[in-house]
Amino acid sequence: MSATPLVLPVFPLKNAVLFPYLGMPLAAGRPVSVAAIEAAVATEEKEILVVAQRDASVQEPGKDDFFDVGTKGVIRRLAPAPQGGMQVFVQGIQRVRLREITQLSPFVAARFEQAPVALDVGDEVEALEREVKALAEKALALARPDASEIDLSQLTGGEEDRLRWLYIVASLMGLEMARSEELLSADDLTKALNLMHGYLQHEVRILGLRQDIASKVQTELSKQQKEALLRQQMRAIQDELGEGDEEGAEAELLRERIEKANLPEAARKEVERERERMKKLPAASPESGIIRSYIELVLELPWNERSEAVLDLARARQVLDEDHLDLDDVKSRILEHLAVLKLNPEAKAPILCFVGPPGVGKTSLGKSIARAQDRKFERMSLGGLHDEAELRGHRRTYIGAMPGRILQALRRVKVNNPVLMLDEIDKLGRDFRGDPASAMLEILDPQQNDSFRDNYLDLPFDLSKVFFITTANTLDTIPRPLLDRMEVLRLAGYSENEKLAIARRYLLPRQLQESGVDPARCVIPDETLLRAIERYTREAGLRQLERTIGRVVRKVAVRFAEGDPGTVTVKPDDLVEMLGPEPFRLEKVRREMVPGVAAGLAWTEVGGDVLYIEATLLPGGSGLTLTGQLGSVMQESARAAQSYLWANAKALGIEPDRFKEQGVHIHVPAGAIPKDGPSAGITIATALSSLYCDKPVRPDTAMTGEITLKGLVLPIGGVKEKVLAAHRAGFKRVILPRENEANLRDLPKDVREATEFLFVDRIEEVLREAVIGHCMGEPESVERA
Amino acid sequence: MFLFDELRGLDWFPRADIYRTPSGWLVKIDLAGVSPDEVTVERRGSELRVSGVRRDRFVQKGYRHHSMEISYSSFERTLRLPCRAEECSLRTEFAEGMLLITLDEEGEP
Repeated sequence: MSATPLVLPVFPLKNAVLFPYLGMPLAAGRPVSVAAIEAAVATEEKEILVVAQRDASVQEPGKDDFFDVGTKGVIRRLAPAPQGGMQVFVQGIQRVRLREITQLSPFVAARFEQAPVALDVGDEVEALEREVKALAEKALALARPDASEIDLSQLTGGEEDRLRWLYIVASLMGLEMARSEELLSADDLTKALNLMHGYLQHEVRILGLRQDIASKVQTELSKQQKEALLRQQMRAIQDELGEGDEEGAEAELLRERIEKANLPEAARKEVERERERMKKLPAASPESGIIRSYIELVLELPWNERSEAVLDLARARQVLDEDHLDLDDVKSRILEHLAVLKLNPEAKAPILCFVGPPGVGKTSLGKSIARAQDRKFERMSLGGLHDEAELRGHRRTYIGAMPGRILQALRRVKVNNPVLMLDEIDKLGRDFRGDPASAMLEILDPQQNDSFRDNYLDLPFDLSKVFFITTANTLDTIPRPLLDRMEVLRLAGYSENEKLAIARRYLLPRQLQESGVDPARCVIPDETLLRAIERYTREAGLRQLERTIGRVVRKVAVRFAEGDPGTVTVKPDDLVEMLGPEPFRLEKVRREMVPGVAAGLAWTEVGGDVLYIEATLLPGGSGLTLTGQLGSVMQESARAAQSYLWANAKALGIEPDRFKEQGVHIHVPAGAIPKDGPSAGITIATALSSLYCDKPVRPDTAMTGEITLKGLVLPIGGVKEKVLAAHRAGFKRVILPRENEANLRDLPKDVREATEFLFVDRIEEVLREAVIGHCMGEPESVERA
Repeated sequence: MFLFDELRGLDWFPRADIYRTPSGWLVKIDLAGVSPDEVTVERRGSELRVSGVRRDRFVQKGYRHHSMEISYSSFERTLRLPCRAEECSLRTEFAEGMLLITLDEEGEP
């Protein structure tokens, strides 16, 4: 091999860099280029220096116009170019550093020296190499998807390949001129790798972003195109089927409905405006759906539709009597209201509130009222309702907004004067979302509800024609302002005879029919029904009784189904076999009374109840102990009773030692049920008095009444329920405050006749009547009813 | 931009044929225009490495190239043989522009 000549012609390269190991086609047009190539190919080895020009615009480069580092190459091919000059293909051989430009004309020649890149080794370079390789693969995959089959790893055979692949990547990535020259100028592999790393990182990021943008644009476009295409197809299909413009038809339909609807002016304006708004929206948009359901609500609300209320009082009375036994007071109150409505049709409908224990027929009475007037009936339960928006609706801006329940109910009945029953108004809840009871204030105020404003509807709606009936088990939990707006009608519990009559007339026929039993073949005598009422139920209403009768009837049905051809008569004693042992006997009269026990009467939500108050002395103890879940009012009442007895011990004939030496404990079973109220005052006093005198209370006597510190007996509430409870339990005598005498009017006749009532003004009278052989002095007269 | 096929085709890359002979192997390499003095043959294991230079000895002063398709300058070709080239006896000769390398296995002890 001959020594490499140290002077060679120079090919001035514009805007590009020839890397060693790589080939490059060059077009020579400039005289200096052509001359350089001619000089090179005239040699035996065809070698030439390819050096980049610093400034591409220079046509005849001078000494300073070249970069210092270039590449020595070999001309592999040469061909004349069609447009003059020549085309050559140069293979890069090695990196060289120019020492001196020896001539500039006719071609540039330079003295040079070989400048191989130092292939440094070490962990750091290796790590860098791997990193750059990984990056390069990523970058190539992004930039040159077409060149993906180029397997760079194939190259990494010899030691020189460590540099070679770097140059290949650079040329594949189309590295710009300045960076290429920088890369070529790198004297060692580490520097070259670092340069490449920085470049590739930048490139990968940019290419990644470009790809993202491109693919986004792509998907966006194709989605739109797809949609447009589908729409077009749909239209074509509709045309083919002759369905035409569905949206237009629907809008037209809505317009007709609005025209036909009998709307007040304000509502019509609002609906027209919404319809205009809807027209501008595409039918498929969610907004359009919201507007449509709003318009439909407005159209369906009974703005002016009303059922012609029949105000025939005789017929109303007949209907009420048919459906319900007794309840005379309630019925007459209802008839009064109907009479007013008859005389003055513009009068506002009353708002009734039925209060009573469960199962006494509040709901069915409401239905009867509707039937009596031929009004429509709709009921909704307010129990547990805790969101004001349930009643008054959500504003339309909320997603999923709906009108409140009141408007929904009116929409269902389609008239503006139905009987609307709001059940369980005493069980309204409240929480942070607002207080539904306060919303009820507006709804139930006859002065305000002619322009009730639902948040969803956002138009005034007249509720004043609605006949509101609310029901409740107790008035205690109803806020005062709300209670104030309603006319309260109490439906107390039924006596045994009333229950018997109701069972005979309504419950039994209904159960027989439901079970498919022929009434003629199933005889249930009154004694059996009474036994069921007394021993198998304990309630103010009738639900338990109806279930019990149902069970009896089904037992009979089983017999018939098994092929019994005869008639079945259910005797009272058959009940044990049919229904199991009698569950209720406990609250019957205690036959044996010990001193310190007295029977009180209590009012509960399910009717009245008998309450035994027990007192016992605690030898060596002191003070007053109260147990049995007593509320503060009841505890105070017990203290008042004790203080009165103590203060008047002498007059009452009680040994003072019995107070002084011993404490007393009062207990009221059942211990798990909370109790409160002042009406057990005289009972506690009686129990204590009986305890101190060591004389028992008459077992046939129950009592109720509030006691004052001076021994007066004050009236109490719930007389009817209490007396009924006493009657049910089997008490023959009931002691009541004199001021409650008038309440007896409500009682069924049979109860009044079966019970001896004693009306009292003072505690002394109670003691004299209740405690057997009371040690008290002067007897006074007690009026007997 | 140049793809690798192009690079391969343009590189000065002498072609070779390899024959199996009764006594060993014959490697024939197309080295037209290469002076036998400027060819080196080396053996390393089973590899045979042939390198050298082709010079354009026909170009003279006053000639101008119109076109050029023959590659000049240095070349290097490494061939992998299915035998231990190192352990064979080796003979080279030039004939009609071809370098013939004869490897004789039987010449081995």
